[in-house]
Amino acid sequence: MRITTGVAGLDKMLHGGLIPKRPYIVSGTPGSGKTVLLTQFLMEGIAGGERVLLVALDEPPNEIIANMRSLRWDVGDIEVLDANSDIRRFEPTPIVEISDEQEPAKMRDLPEEIRKTPEVESHEVTVHSLQQLLKTLLRKREYARVAIDSMTGLRYFCMREFEEDVATQSFMRFLTEEKVTALLAVETAGEAEVPPESFLARGEIRLHRVRDDTGIRRFVSIEKFKGSAHEEMVYPMEIGAQGITVHTDGRLLPPPPPVD
Amino acid sequence: MERVSSGVEGLDKMLRGGYIAGRSYILTGPSGTGKSILGTHFLLDGLRNGEACMLVALDEPPSEIKANMATFGWSLDQLTTLDATPDIKAHKKKNVIDVGTTLDVRDMEKVQDVRKSMQIRTMEVTIHSVQKMIKQSARDLRERVTGGHYSRIVIDSMTALKRFSLKGEDARVLVQSFLRFLSELEATTLIVSNPLDTNNLETEFLLARGEILLHKWIDGNAVRRAISIERFRGSAFDERLRPMTIGRHGISVFPNASVTAKGELTRTIDRLFLEGRVAAEVNERLDDVLQSLESVRAQGGETSEAEAAVLRGVVAMHRKRYEEAIRHLITAKSKLSGELRLQDAAKRAEAKRA
Repeated sequence: MRITTGVAGLDKMLHGGLIPKRPYIVSGTPGSGKTVLLTQFLMEGIAGGERVLLVALDEPPNEIIANMRSLRWDVGDIEVLDANSDIRRFEPTPIVEISDEQEPAKMRDLPEEIRKTPEVESHEVTVHSLQQLLKTLLRKREYARVAIDSMTGLRYFCMREFEEDVATQSFMRFLTEEKVTALLAVETAGEAEVPPESFLARGEIRLHRVRDDTGIRRFVSIEKFKGSAHEEMVYPMEIGAQGITVHTDGRLLPPPPPVD
Repeated sequence: MERVSSGVEGLDKMLRGGYIAGRSYILTGPSGTGKSILGTHFLLDGLRNGEACMLVALDEPPSEIKANMATFGWSLDQLTTLDATPDIKAHKKKNVIDVGTTLDVRDMEKVQDVRKSMQIRTMEVTIHSVQKMIKQSARDLRERVTGGHYSRIVIDSMTALKRFSLKGEDARVLVQSFLRFLSELEATTLIVSNPLDTNNLETEFLLARGEILLHKWIDGNAVRRAISIERFRGSAFDERLRPMTIGRHGISVFPNASVTAKGELTRTIDRLFLEGRVAAEVNERLDDVLQSLESVRAQGGETSEAEAAVLRGVVAMHRKRYEEAIRHLITAKSKLSGELRLQDAAKRAEAKRA
């Protein structure tokens, strides 16, 4: 049994789709289309009547809704957990951790405006509180698909720098033990960077973004997929009004001839 | 979604109408490409519409900015300026105070000479004090004008803020918090940033909703400029590189022209990407060949030819002739496989005899 990603060409590259109940990472530079892929993956679940969860760490949910309007997707049924930290207080007032009673809301029930930091106490998201909260939620609501946007946000803002790698490893381990099919967005600074998360995930889908004279060209490759054969080639992809399309009949264009 | 003009007509076209209101964007590119000018265009456009705009000056003192922008014939008198350039550091132990506690925000028309460091106490700029001052200033504005708020803010630059005003391990968290603060103000913000280390993803790049990249290169003996939108959340955009000039009236972008002279730029990007992938393949093959080499050696097989081929492959790899390297490695591999087969056959024959 495979789980389809919502991108037909990508499923073909994965020889049918993702193996369920495992965490996978989607890596690429900022602007390579990770969020679109994650949303498409969740929308595929919605289309199949599944319950899905988006954990938003980089962008407030009101912006996500606005952005997806340009793709003409009705993301109203996606449940979202707003894990964006508030403005930090510099005074030694009590900082409240994200509460483990917080409930995700359906996208359509969210206010238009950004959630404002309260005057009295601001809430902070740490990897521990988030993990605790997710644990409760995953058991209670049995989400078929979870998307975390992004793992880099979690690493940058919810972990202490000295414990980053251990905390990441433990978080991935947690997802594995919870047996949830999850896509985690990981930002890379450059094309060649291999993020540490890729060692821990069961698979890595890499999105490439290359600029040339005709504009931005996009490619996708499967860097790793445990327990399954997969396509080894890099395939061209597009982001259009229908979201991501992967052209599996296309070939990676040969490198341009060297100019002297 | 509401759009806010960038102040440059051609860029607005590329952005399909302008920046999305209430979000933050990065202006980046090597020094001297026009980031500050592009930021000023944005503020100027706001001032012309009678909007309240703020410049947070961290790189250059406002007096210099004022003088520089006067060369374009721009008057920035109505612009609120926060002079957050740090004072000369007093190399004494005490009496360092935050900029926020004494210095106030002022309009550009009141900016005269460079503010002199005080003899007794010098001021330090921290991200916290900058935030506090913006907050105070926004509150004052709200009291002065009902419903008044800063609709446009330019931070010039984030690089300076991070370098000089952010110490300690919490840098990422503080930048995240600062950007969250700006987005709760509901101002459209441009952040000038010049990453020092391209191997490290800066926090503001992770969080910004879009990125405008400015390019500059030498073509023959002329300086060429171009602009590109690297990403833009929630909107379609012109994905091509477009020529740009900095003239007497500031920046002009030509959204219908293409960058004709193929500068180093695009080629380098493409080459780097593909080179990276091919290099990885060479590495993989090399590992594989070395492994085979070990096993043939362990069984006492003949390896000198294969070794020579590996050596040639490694040399080619060092010279970045990856395809040549792959050819040598394939040769080596086939020699080793042949040797392994021979040994296998010999072993089988021996087994039979036994």
